[in-house]
Amino acid sequence: MIGHNNDRKGHAGPTLVFVMRLLFLFLTTSSLALPPDHAQRMARGLKLFDSEVAALLKENCLKCHGGEKVKSDFDMATREDLLRGGSHGSVVVPFDSKSSSLVAQINHAKEPHMPDSSPKLPEAVISKIAAWIDDGTPYSAPLIAGKKPKKDSSVVTEEDRQWWAFRPLKKVQAKSIDELLLKNAKGMSFAPKAENEVLVRRLHLDLTGLPPDQTDQTDQTDLSDLTDRLLTSPAYGERWARHWLDVARYAESTGFEQDYDRPFAFHYRDFVIKALNSDMPYDQFVKWQLAGDEYEPQNPLALAATGFLGAGVFPSQITANEVESSRYDAMDDMLGTTASGMLGLTLSCARCHDHKFDPLPTRDYYAMLSTFTTTTRMNVDVHPDGKVTSAVTTMNAKKNTPAVQGATRMMICAEGYDPIVMHTQGGPFFDKTYVLKRGNPLMKDGEATQGFLQVLSKPGDAKRWQWQPPAGSKSTGKRRSLSNWITDVDGGAGALLARVIVNRLWQHHFGTGLVPTPNDFGKTGTPCTQPELLDWLAAKLIENGWKLKPMHKLILSSRAWQQSSDRDAKKEAADPANGLFMRFVPYRLEAEAIRDSMLAVSGVLDPTMHGPGTRDENSKRRSIYFNIKRSQLIGSMVAFDQPEPLVSQGARPTTTVAPQALILMNSPQARQWAEGLAKRVSGAGDAAKQIAMTYRLCFHREPKPAELATGLDFLKNGASLADYCQVVMSLNEFVYVN
Amino acid sequence: MNTFPMFDRRSFLNRFGLGLGGIALNEMLAKASSPADHGVLGGTHFAPKAKRIIYLFMSGGPSHLDLFDYKPLLNQRNGEQLPDSVRGGQRLTGMSGNQSSIPMVGSPFKFTQHGHAGGWFSELLPHTASIADDICVARSMFTESINHGPGVTFFQTGSQIAGRPSFGSWLSYGLGAENANLPSFTVLITKGKGGQPLGSHLWGSGFLPTKHQGVLFRAAKDPVLYLGNPAGVSADSRRLMLDRLKELHEHQFAGTPDAEIQNRIDHYEMAFRMQTSIPEVTDLSDEPQHVLDSYGPDVKTPGTFAANCLQARRLAEKGVRFIQLYHQDWDHHGGLPGALPKLCKETDQPAAALVKDLKQRGMLDDTLVVWGGEFGRTAYCQGKISTNFGRDHHPRCFSAWFAGSGIKAGSVYGETDDFGYNTVKDGLHIHDFHATLMHLLGIDHERLTYKFQGRRYRLTDVHGKLVKGIIA
Repeated sequence: MIGHNNDRKGHAGPTLVFVMRLLFLFLTTSSLALPPDHAQRMARGLKLFDSEVAALLKENCLKCHGGEKVKSDFDMATREDLLRGGSHGSVVVPFDSKSSSLVAQINHAKEPHMPDSSPKLPEAVISKIAAWIDDGTPYSAPLIAGKKPKKDSSVVTEEDRQWWAFRPLKKVQAKSIDELLLKNAKGMSFAPKAENEVLVRRLHLDLTGLPPDQTDQTDQTDLSDLTDRLLTSPAYGERWARHWLDVARYAESTGFEQDYDRPFAFHYRDFVIKALNSDMPYDQFVKWQLAGDEYEPQNPLALAATGFLGAGVFPSQITANEVESSRYDAMDDMLGTTASGMLGLTLSCARCHDHKFDPLPTRDYYAMLSTFTTTTRMNVDVHPDGKVTSAVTTMNAKKNTPAVQGATRMMICAEGYDPIVMHTQGGPFFDKTYVLKRGNPLMKDGEATQGFLQVLSKPGDAKRWQWQPPAGSKSTGKRRSLSNWITDVDGGAGALLARVIVNRLWQHHFGTGLVPTPNDFGKTGTPCTQPELLDWLAAKLIENGWKLKPMHKLILSSRAWQQSSDRDAKKEAADPANGLFMRFVPYRLEAEAIRDSMLAVSGVLDPTMHGPGTRDENSKRRSIYFNIKRSQLIGSMVAFDQPEPLVSQGARPTTTVAPQALILMNSPQARQWAEGLAKRVSGAGDAAKQIAMTYRLCFHREPKPAELATGLDFLKNGASLADYCQVVMSLNEFVYVN
Repeated sequence: MNTFPMFDRRSFLNRFGLGLGGIALNEMLAKASSPADHGVLGGTHFAPKAKRIIYLFMSGGPSHLDLFDYKPLLNQRNGEQLPDSVRGGQRLTGMSGNQSSIPMVGSPFKFTQHGHAGGWFSELLPHTASIADDICVARSMFTESINHGPGVTFFQTGSQIAGRPSFGSWLSYGLGAENANLPSFTVLITKGKGGQPLGSHLWGSGFLPTKHQGVLFRAAKDPVLYLGNPAGVSADSRRLMLDRLKELHEHQFAGTPDAEIQNRIDHYEMAFRMQTSIPEVTDLSDEPQHVLDSYGPDVKTPGTFAANCLQARRLAEKGVRFIQLYHQDWDHHGGLPGALPKLCKETDQPAAALVKDLKQRGMLDDTLVVWGGEFGRTAYCQGKISTNFGRDHHPRCFSAWFAGSGIKAGSVYGETDDFGYNTVKDGLHIHDFHATLMHLLGIDHERLTYKFQGRRYRLTDVHGKLVKGIIA
């Protein structure tokens, strides 16, 4: 770093800068020692460069390597670029022409021969270039006048740290969300507050994914009390866990061609529900998902949390040539999901090259990746006394019960127990993780040792995050070390971690986030519309001990959230994307909430929580308890945009397509639920009263006169009450939060 | 013309821009201005040669050496070790990776030349041979995948890793639907075949909006989920319900003019039409006997490859953009001499009949037909050599054929070495395959993109070049 700083400040003399920079390059790119007579040799080389070599390089090489083109990503215009090499690695080793690929290639001792498609250079030319390399490859000036070296994307600079998402949280003085929004509102003000009956329905759907029950059929409901009540309802966890499961690309099968079941994977889904319902602090929620086994090795909930790492796809048929690459794929899935889900970073881009937009060098990627070197999926039995033992390792294990009574069998993703074995011609993991060139396991570039993202690490002793497991521990401690860094607000990634989660909360309350791309806070994401508010909320979260429920309460109590969704053409014109949040835009419910709402209004919802799921669409339990098999996703869920659980998904698309209509009109379940609703309202009295009750149950409001007239007319002309109920449940309003 | 009353483009954007943060503005505008669904491109980049594709995917990896790529040398040197020079130091792939002996094995099937180009066809493909002058056989296909899951995924999505939008989704997204009564991308799978399972990601829309995903037609009474009215609901009462639903939606629309309500009304109507249009298209009773006969005896059994080929023609007639067929079980690691004839018997006649049928109707002038699997099979046998030998996966070269508008009919493209192991001329990579098919549909593959997680994606990723040699 010394050379680098000197270079930037330009305080030292040119020779010193030169040597320092060299030193820096050696320190960072290789372990070669500088020859003792390097200063003299460099001086000699410089003469050679000026007298002959510069002209030779310009004449024979520069056109394709820095001039008109930069073939193989190898640019000779500046010394820095020359030394960085190309996509095939190092081209020149200063002071060592024999190890320099360039010399071998122009000598036609190594392919591809250079210069390409030209006769071999005369021996005299080759020996001059070789001599110049042996003298340290000095340049007096770039080969193209004025050309600056390409920024070295493997080095993170102070400038890189200035990107808003990487900075410490800004200290924002404010009393409320509303105050901050109004400050930026460009003279606009909030829309009128929505009617109480609208807000009651909005609150119920938002927090629990279910419409208001009959007990809330009054305009007098106190919203603050209702918020508290709903936050303590178990249905809250069931709704909000589903949001997180999208982020965690959660499913219960391996994917790929065989798509074997993971019959013990559902414990992770239950962990998420339980964690949210108990208001587990978010930092702990993160720590347990990365390293629950290293925090509380005997706590079944902490163990189940590691299912986060193991929820991704993995091929079940792995031939010898694929063993290594598929292992890197598996680790990439763990790291990529952690980075995009928890930090909003597209870190997987850096697997093959330094990230093109964000300061995420490939070496950081592999330093992070090595965290998971020995982490694999495994089934364990957690005994009632807290003892944990390895369980079945065959991947297609059916629901065979643990040998010990009362034990729980679960899939975790950890270390130290027997890994699940696929049809593979290799082992479950390799002892070491290497830095790979272009992501290719055949192009190893030294072993990777654990480290964290430079741009999110305050300079200092990296060991402060390192956790040394106690003697006899089953794991390496690397994941817990990662979790220490990722939750460290002052020196690590904690500030970004907080920003990303409060943005997700906001997104699910308002339909869109303050950062509209919840999985990408980098330069390619959409910029934050309310940076001060985001930082203020993130700071509040940390202040509140990372508890999410107070954050929900804070947001739901805001005037911003309680605005009416009535349209306002002026505001829509002035702020089409609603980045100012001066109105509330209705949003469609997700697949699960639509189906759950239908079950609820029909009066047949089975509230049984947790445990193994089913793929039977006749199930009356909430949709989060559908078993998710990647090759057999539930048709009615997919039709309403439940994503394929392949990669972390931050936001679902909302489509309106004909197959949805077929489901609402023709599925036997929709018909049964319509009949259920008809049965519920049949005792309400005459047709008008039945219609009114249908509207109250479905929309938490009274029918308007025109709606009542249509209903009466329909029923009078011989339609059954079930037909009528099905029509009402098929209305757009049923699937929208207003 | 704006078809939404009281609703301008800006407010449409406004309503839709939320929750779809990743969609670029111009894409939204394209959608907003073409609610009739002409796709995001609003037309093709240049004059298309074809309007639709029927893709006959032979899942499992058919043996090119026993079907299209005649290698007498393998028969002459049957049992000898594959020379190291042929492999050129390449590692062995697949399950034979640990074999100490890799004896070459010649095809037990006879080959003859057909058509003007004199292409070789195995005796297992008499019907395909009979359309030799209508098709272009490419013998130089190659891939990087050596296993089924990634291999099929590569062909269907342009990436070996599941999660990208499939070929048909890209077309639906780019070009929209020709027929408002039918989904623009349909998938038919031969029923009851074993072999490597197929996942819905193969016809999934990845990060594209879900409306572009393929609709799987099932070999059942309802080819689409919930196409029939539920028990106790007649078509008449269904119509009445829809009328009332529309009425109530219109009440709402009057109060809150929201495009989404109009959208939903439209889709209920589309669904209602599909209830009629899909049974119509799947009901084969109006097909004349000679047409049925041409597809072979299986055509009467729903869910067979023959029935699906005929179905494909009917869907093509109705303007479905991308019709994807799958026929599984080509994965002949062992017992190839017994299994391959069976697979060919199931597929040879219907595939050829489809091309002839389209041609006879003039539809080959705007329809592309593609036949092929995810890779080929090795020149050497897997395990010990015997009369019931098998071949392992082989990604370095394999065969596929193309027919239809814009294709150089009656031609052979590319060459492999005498061992059928390496491509020696005109290698045709998957990305090039995609780029070329898109070109024939009037799409510049580099200009049909979608921004997702900060990057513009396309079917061909950062690759793909036009293969002029297969184009007429």
